[in-house]
Amino acid sequence: MNADRRMRLWSLVVEHTHSGPVAVEHVCAAVMSAAGVDSAAVAVMVCGTDRESMYASDQVASELEELTLTLGEGPCVDAFVGGPALVADLTAGECLVRWPVFAPAAAHAGVRAVFALPLQVGAIRLGVMDLYRAQPGDLDREQLADALVLADTACALLLDAAQRDRPRADGRWPEPAGPQHPEVHRATGMITVQLGVTVTVALIRLRAYAYAHDRRLRDVAGDVVARRLRFDDNAAGGEDRGGS
Amino acid sequence: MAEIQLADVFVEMGDTLVDEFDVIEFLHVLTERCVQLLGISAAGLLLTDGQDTLQVVAASSERTRLLELFQLQTDQGPCVDCFRTGQPVSVADLPSAGRWPRFTAAAAEVGFAAVHALPMRLRTEVIGALNLFDTNPGALDRDTLRIGQALADVATIGLLQQRAIRRRDVLTEQLQTALNSRVLIEQAKGVLAERLHLDMDEAFALLRNRARSHNRRLSELAQAIVDGSEQIPSATATIRPR
Repeated sequence: MNADRRMRLWSLVVEHTHSGPVAVEHVCAAVMSAAGVDSAAVAVMVCGTDRESMYASDQVASELEELTLTLGEGPCVDAFVGGPALVADLTAGECLVRWPVFAPAAAHAGVRAVFALPLQVGAIRLGVMDLYRAQPGDLDREQLADALVLADTACALLLDAAQRDRPRADGRWPEPAGPQHPEVHRATGMITVQLGVTVTVALIRLRAYAYAHDRRLRDVAGDVVARRLRFDDNAAGGEDRGGS
Repeated sequence: MAEIQLADVFVEMGDTLVDEFDVIEFLHVLTERCVQLLGISAAGLLLTDGQDTLQVVAASSERTRLLELFQLQTDQGPCVDCFRTGQPVSVADLPSAGRWPRFTAAAAEVGFAAVHALPMRLRTEVIGALNLFDTNPGALDRDTLRIGQALADVATIGLLQQRAIRRRDVLTEQLQTALNSRVLIEQAKGVLAERLHLDMDEAFALLRNRARSHNRRLSELAQAIVDGSEQIPSATATIRPR
C-alpha cells in the first residue's frame, strides 16, 4: 500500500518538474496539491542552529519563514527540535499560549493552519517542511499520509543532492530516508565510526554507495551490518564521492 | 500467575509515565513485562507510521533474529491483519494454519509455534499491534488475552504521554516522535557495535544498562552517542567484547 502511495506521489512530483531535474520546489508543489494547502516552504539547518530558508512557494510562505526566523518561535521551530507540529488553528487559545508572538503575527499574515514536518532521520536533522493554509482545520488522514511521504522524499533529495546534481536518468524515485529498514540506521551508525564522520555524512555515503553500485539501500546496509563491507576500506570503492 | 503480579506492572508503568519519560524505554519494559505476565516467549510492539505501514518500535529482546521476525510483519503476518481489521489475531499452531508462508517459515526458524496479535486502539483509530510469540503451540486462554489487551491499552496510553488527545494530529505527532526515537536507537546501536566490536543486541544491552545506571533517558543517551558528545568506554561494557 505504501509503495502505491509513494509511486503516485513521485509521479506527482515529477509532473511538476516539466522534465527538468527534481528539486525540493517540486516536492513542495506536490505537497500543496496532495495536502490541499496554499503554500509550502523548506528550511534547512546548516551546521547546528542557523535556520535558512531554502525554498518558499509564494510571498505568504516567505513571510512566515521570515517570521519564524526572526522570532525564533512557532510550530516550525518546534518541529525541528521535536516531532511534527500540526496546528489546525493558530487563533486557538493554546496556540496563543505556546507561541504568543508568532501565532497572532501569522494569523495577521493570513495563515490559520500550519503543518510543520521535520526532515529528520533519527539523530540526523536536516530541516523542516512547512505547510501553510488560510483556512483553519486538520489535514485528513490521506492528506497527512501524503504529506509525511513527501517530507521523507524531500529528506531523501536533500541527502542525495550532496552527492549528485542530477536525478537518475530512469526517473526512479529516491529510496526513502525514514524508518523503513532498521539495518540502514545500524549501518549508518557503524559508518560514522569507520570514517570518523557525522551521522548525516555517514548516511549520505551509504546512500551514494547504493546508488553508485545500483543496489538496494537495505542490501548494502545489510552487508555493512554483517561486516562484509567496510567504508574505510578503499577496495570497497564508490564511497569516495565527496560529501564529507 | 508468574513471579510478577499484574498490579505491580501497572504500578511500575504508572511510575514510568510520571517520571522522566522515555517512550522507547517505556515500551521496551512493557514488552518485557508481557513475556513475564502472559507466560509467553517474546513480545514486540509495532506502530503505524501514518503511511499505511507498521514499524517495529520495541521488543522484549533485541536479538537480531527476533527483531527481523517482527520486522517481517510490516509486510505480512498476523500483525498486519490485526492492524487492518482492528481485531485480535490468534494462531495456536502456525504451520497447520497455512497462512503467511514467508512469516511462518521465519517464525519456525526462530522456534516459534504460536503467535498472537492484539490491536492498539484509540477510539476508532488502530495505531499499532502488540505481537506475542510462544515456542509452544496453543491458544491463549481468555484471561490471558484480556490481560494482554490491557497491556496493549497501557502501551497506547503511554504513547500519548498523558496528553489529552482531542485530535488525530496530536496522535500523529506522538507516533512520529516514537518512530524517530527508534531510528535514533538503531543508529546508536551501530555506533557502539562498530566502536566496541559488539553484536547489535549486545550494543543495545550496553546502551540500556548505561542509561539505567546513569539515570539517563535512553533516547538522550542514544543522541549523545550518535553525535559523539558522549562515549561509553569499553571497560564498562557488561558484555565482554569478542
